[in-house]
Amino acid sequence: MRKNEMSTSKQAIQWKCLESKIESKRLHYGRFLVSPFKRGQASTVGIAMRRALLQEIEGTSITCARFCGVVHEYSTITGLQETIHDVLVNLKEIVLRGDSKEDIQEAFLSVTGPKEVTAGDLSLPPGVEAIDNSQYIATITQPISLTIELEIEKDCGYRIENLAKSGKGQFPIDAVFMPVRNVNYSIHLFGSGRATQEILFIEIWTNGSLTPHEALRKASEKLMDLLTTFLYVRGGDVSLFENGEDSLDLTKSPSLQPQFGDTNNLEERVLENRFIDQLELPARAFNCLKRAEIYTIADLLNYSREDLSKLKNFGRKSVDQVSEALWDRFAKELPDKKIVLNRRK
Amino acid sequence: MPVLPELAQIQFKGFSRFVHQKLLKELENFPKIEDTDKEVEFRSIGNQYQLTEPSLEERDAAYQCITYSADLYVPAQLICKEDQIVQEEDVRLGSIPWMNSGGTFIINGIARVLVSQILRSPGIYYNRESDQRGILAYTSTVISDQGGRFKLEIDGRNRIWVRISKKKKISIFILLVAMGLCKRDILQNSRYPRIFSNMFKRQKESIESPEDAIVELYKHLYSATDADVFFSESIFRELQKRFFQHRCELGRIGRRNLNIKLTLDVPETESFLLPQDILAAADHLVEISYGEGKLDDIDHLKNRRVRSVADLLQEQLKLALNRLENLIRQNLSRAVRRKRAITPRGLVTPVPVIAAFKEFFGSHPLSQFLDQTNPLSEMVHKRRLSSVGPGGLTRRTASFQARDIHFSHYGRICPIETSEGMNAGLISSLAIQAGVNTSGSLGSPYLEMSDSSGEEQLVNLSPAEDDYYRVASENLLLSEWRGSEKEIIPVRYQQEFLSVLWEQVDFRSIHPLHHFSIGASLIPFIEHNDANRALMGSTMQRQAVPLIKPERCIVGTGLESQVALDSGSVAISEQDGKVCYIDGNRIELSLIHEAKKNKLAQPTTIEELKIFERSNNNTCMHQKPAVSLGELLRGGEIVADGAATVRGELALGKNILVAYMPWEGYNFEDAVLISERLIYEDIFTSLHIEKHEVEICATNQGPERVTKQISQLDGYLLRHLDDDGLVELGSWVEAGDVLVGKLTPQEGASSSRVPEGRLLQAIFGIQLVNARESCLRVPIGGRGRVIDVRWVYPEDDATNDLEVIHIYILQRRKIQVGDKIAGRHGNKGIVSKIVPRQDMPYLQNGTPVDMILSPLGVPSRMNVGQIFECLLGLAGEFLETHYRVVPFDERYEREASRKLVFAELHEAGARTNNPWLFEPSHPGKSRLIDGRTGDPFGQSITTGKAYIMKLIHQVDDKIHARSSGPYALVTQQPLKGKSRRGGQRIGEMEVWALEGFGVSYTLQEMLTTKSDHIQARYKALSAIMTGKPVCKPKTVPESFRLLVRELRCMGLNLERNFISEEDLGREFENI
Repeated sequence: MRKNEMSTSKQAIQWKCLESKIESKRLHYGRFLVSPFKRGQASTVGIAMRRALLQEIEGTSITCARFCGVVHEYSTITGLQETIHDVLVNLKEIVLRGDSKEDIQEAFLSVTGPKEVTAGDLSLPPGVEAIDNSQYIATITQPISLTIELEIEKDCGYRIENLAKSGKGQFPIDAVFMPVRNVNYSIHLFGSGRATQEILFIEIWTNGSLTPHEALRKASEKLMDLLTTFLYVRGGDVSLFENGEDSLDLTKSPSLQPQFGDTNNLEERVLENRFIDQLELPARAFNCLKRAEIYTIADLLNYSREDLSKLKNFGRKSVDQVSEALWDRFAKELPDKKIVLNRRK
Repeated sequence: MPVLPELAQIQFKGFSRFVHQKLLKELENFPKIEDTDKEVEFRSIGNQYQLTEPSLEERDAAYQCITYSADLYVPAQLICKEDQIVQEEDVRLGSIPWMNSGGTFIINGIARVLVSQILRSPGIYYNRESDQRGILAYTSTVISDQGGRFKLEIDGRNRIWVRISKKKKISIFILLVAMGLCKRDILQNSRYPRIFSNMFKRQKESIESPEDAIVELYKHLYSATDADVFFSESIFRELQKRFFQHRCELGRIGRRNLNIKLTLDVPETESFLLPQDILAAADHLVEISYGEGKLDDIDHLKNRRVRSVADLLQEQLKLALNRLENLIRQNLSRAVRRKRAITPRGLVTPVPVIAAFKEFFGSHPLSQFLDQTNPLSEMVHKRRLSSVGPGGLTRRTASFQARDIHFSHYGRICPIETSEGMNAGLISSLAIQAGVNTSGSLGSPYLEMSDSSGEEQLVNLSPAEDDYYRVASENLLLSEWRGSEKEIIPVRYQQEFLSVLWEQVDFRSIHPLHHFSIGASLIPFIEHNDANRALMGSTMQRQAVPLIKPERCIVGTGLESQVALDSGSVAISEQDGKVCYIDGNRIELSLIHEAKKNKLAQPTTIEELKIFERSNNNTCMHQKPAVSLGELLRGGEIVADGAATVRGELALGKNILVAYMPWEGYNFEDAVLISERLIYEDIFTSLHIEKHEVEICATNQGPERVTKQISQLDGYLLRHLDDDGLVELGSWVEAGDVLVGKLTPQEGASSSRVPEGRLLQAIFGIQLVNARESCLRVPIGGRGRVIDVRWVYPEDDATNDLEVIHIYILQRRKIQVGDKIAGRHGNKGIVSKIVPRQDMPYLQNGTPVDMILSPLGVPSRMNVGQIFECLLGLAGEFLETHYRVVPFDERYEREASRKLVFAELHEAGARTNNPWLFEPSHPGKSRLIDGRTGDPFGQSITTGKAYIMKLIHQVDDKIHARSSGPYALVTQQPLKGKSRRGGQRIGEMEVWALEGFGVSYTLQEMLTTKSDHIQARYKALSAIMTGKPVCKPKTVPESFRLLVRELRCMGLNLERNFISEEDLGREFENI
């Protein structure tokens, strides 16, 4: 459907890669030309692309490290030149490329010294690769073996881990999932008078985990995702906004509202107005639910445990978290499968 | 650039002088002690004293919270006079806290530093003073070594008076006669006998004999009543003891100053005032009053001296030995009386010396808690000069003159670095080149100009000598920059600025930063800053927190490396060697030279590194190896970088891309916007280690117990405790969690005193255990990782079964809204908003700006140096160059700084193909583009790389709220301050605000229930418990009662009357 709509526009906007170079393994550069635009359009596209590239692109990063026999990260291991804290800092900076869609992947590092440990020594799960094998992690100066278990996740933006969750020897890392380092765009005019048209140049620097071409494509996908909502906007939809409070909840469609008995009505109304962010779920579970268009507690209660675990990127652990949070905060349980079946379309 | 003298030298030299000279001097002065019958004699052989090496390593002393000290042994002899038996033994006199390699002392595990004091030099000073009635009189003040004063005054009728220790004045005759002169001696030896004879004639009662004079003197000085005092030996002795011995000992320096001033020839060993001194002083006073000679300038540095570590310690040792002497005397006579066998060891105890030093280091105002925020603050603290303290000025009374910069400060005391506020000018800092000589005067080295040989001699000039030479400051001095021989050079001469020919210059200063302290000389382009802001800049550099990833400044002055090196924060190889082992804890060097000597064993030295240690200011001291295995090192090379140092250079902050522009009002009033990048890239992330301690002591109900079994508390709070009741190492603790589970035994069933306590007990029937929990909990905002748990046994002799547990919690703090950040030019601000990187304005190459500062922060503050710094930083960023610009480059050329900065920017633009870096139409500025809209901003904006530091003032330490808490005992108002769980003050202006909004109930609640209305407070509590509405108080708060009472004191009564309409009856209500 999208393709059709794209092709209907009269402009034949074309792009060209002017320059693409790999300055180092961890710094890729690409310069693109997009033209022709009508006056003003280049700026609309340019700023949207810049922001999408900087904000929306997903990356893969190490989010947690487990050391054996280490009490806390501010300690040292005999024979290791760095402190655990320094190792964690170095692990944070490792650039990975991951194609897999799974949520948490395990990797490990097992090296026997004396050796300089680099990203090349990581044993990564299939689908994940280290971009720069020479990226430094630590130096082992004695014949000891160092084993680190790692967790790898894919996300966008950055996260500040809650260290309270860390167990023995397990240290969450404040991961940064931002493969795009920098974006710039410039607009140039050509033609004259009413026929003036614009050329847009986009420059992209990435950290090597994806090429500027890929970044460009992903950014445009993300942008389109954001804008698809408006494709379904029709004139008659005003009826959705019955009162002021609900108007915020734009995406809620009437079909999802269940009709339970009258006695439950009040409670039901309350649950409809409670959004799932009140469950204080972990970011990943929250995002999954959102993607599945589950916005309120009422929405959530339409799903059974099995339904939930069928969601994309929603594992057993997440289901447990959701049901636990639901019970803790609203004293509700996820319904059994059979009750729900007829409620969902 | 010339190498500066070792920066902590003032401390090391002082301590070495104490150990090598003063200690011996005091020990040699230790008298022989005989018992009352003179049968047994005790003497110590002071010159054979021995000092042991400190029994513990410095690091261990700090770890075990004890004092790092060396024991002092002296051979002592006990001579029995009857049979001439000599017993000789080494006795321990005590232990002396020992200075460590950093120039500090470890007292009870805490680093302390002795600040040098600067006070008036002993000697005689002539001055003109006005008395209470405003009549001017010439005075001459003799200041003794110990601070006692003796003053001669000449009044309008040419009479000379003496004032001792600010008491009532007496005639000079009484003093002179009391000192043993007769009338004829006085008249003969005085240069102005006319004045003296005139005074004789006017005197009503003549005092002839010395005895009478002594009695008179005694009456004036010490007897409060006018009762008749008759001369006796005891009076004489008391006078001698109290007046002459203590107060007016001039000391060697005082004697020398007196000799010079009065052109006398008294030997330097004569340390008391002699009659001839007083006569000569009186003569000079007469001359002064007739306009001959010069008045003294008490603020001149030649009249002030530095009392360093040596003098402070000597004074304490003297005191201690005095006490020891008395003790030995007592012991000796007691032993002789009881005819016990005596040994020297039995007589001497180390207690007086240990106690004296302990008291001194613990409570003397000049023994200070070392400021260890970063290496620079440590260094600056050691080089501090204080005018306050015992024998010095006081903060409240110190005059403006005493605080002001004096001409003689050039090259000795920094004109910029001092504290702000009350202590301004009283606490100052030593200039980089200045040194203290043995007599305590501040010297400054200069280069002597010589025409013949090209070589210039380095001469150390004392403040007195300074005035007599033409000293050229650094302007236009380098010979290659001189135009001609006839050029006129500005010089300092006799406290004035003159311009003289080049040939007439006697001395020139060594370094452009000669006049400044290290804090001020770390500021690049300081010459473009207003002095007030430079002061703030140097103060705030001392408050910078070491970051986890420090970065060297792009623009610096070149002093960074020496500060880092001398601060002791970096680890340095002591000898030449090869690195043979590295790990996080230690580095081993195999010594090459010694390996050649003995081939059997490979000698190694081990450098133990500091791993996440806590500093006095809760920052983290951590050393990272900076060498690699197999590297060959010279002695003195850096082995490991410490906190806030990178490759041996001081690195207090980070180079941050800043823009000077307004952004949605978020940089109003010096607030600062930052990009999220500073958070997720851990740019301003620092480590803080908090120490929490709890004492376990014995109560009269029995000892306190450390245990995990605490029934009063929720198991969740106790989850981190191990079986012994201590928190487990490495656990992450949140506010409220128990760190040490402790039970204090309690008598019977006496429940807690709070009213709700009893109620709870009644309602829920909680069984009272006969022990109260007194656990150590994590305070609010104190969450973090437990990195160390220590049991400490304090050395205190008094309470021997006291145990202390120390828990160390490490926090990793990212920058957040409310943190204070600052540049080096006194440009400070608070983070007001953290903006995603795509929303920040970006440069023409797409780079988002990291920090937005207010442009209005520059013009009124006049710290233009920050602009130069940030532009040169930008050029350095693109050219990958680090600049070390020595300030005052304007001496080469007009506008030299500006030219340098623009030239570098231009080059950077040309070389890296970024023409926007230097645009001739608006040099130093460039167009920025709004990251939210993509529109360029209307004006071009100054952007650049500035060196920004995160300061120790962080919200996490300051944020605080109170719902209920302690009240002051007297006023019954809530306490203030975070540490006391206090409330926020509702001041006048806040009340106006509430009034302005008409929120009368809120206002009443603020002023009554939440403040000092005791009954309403309790009622509110019970109302909450019972779930009823909190009723409005009917009585008045305590402060209003006080007002009424005060009015009643004045005879005004205040009553509240209800007059009902029907019967016009009145109802009283007493307030």
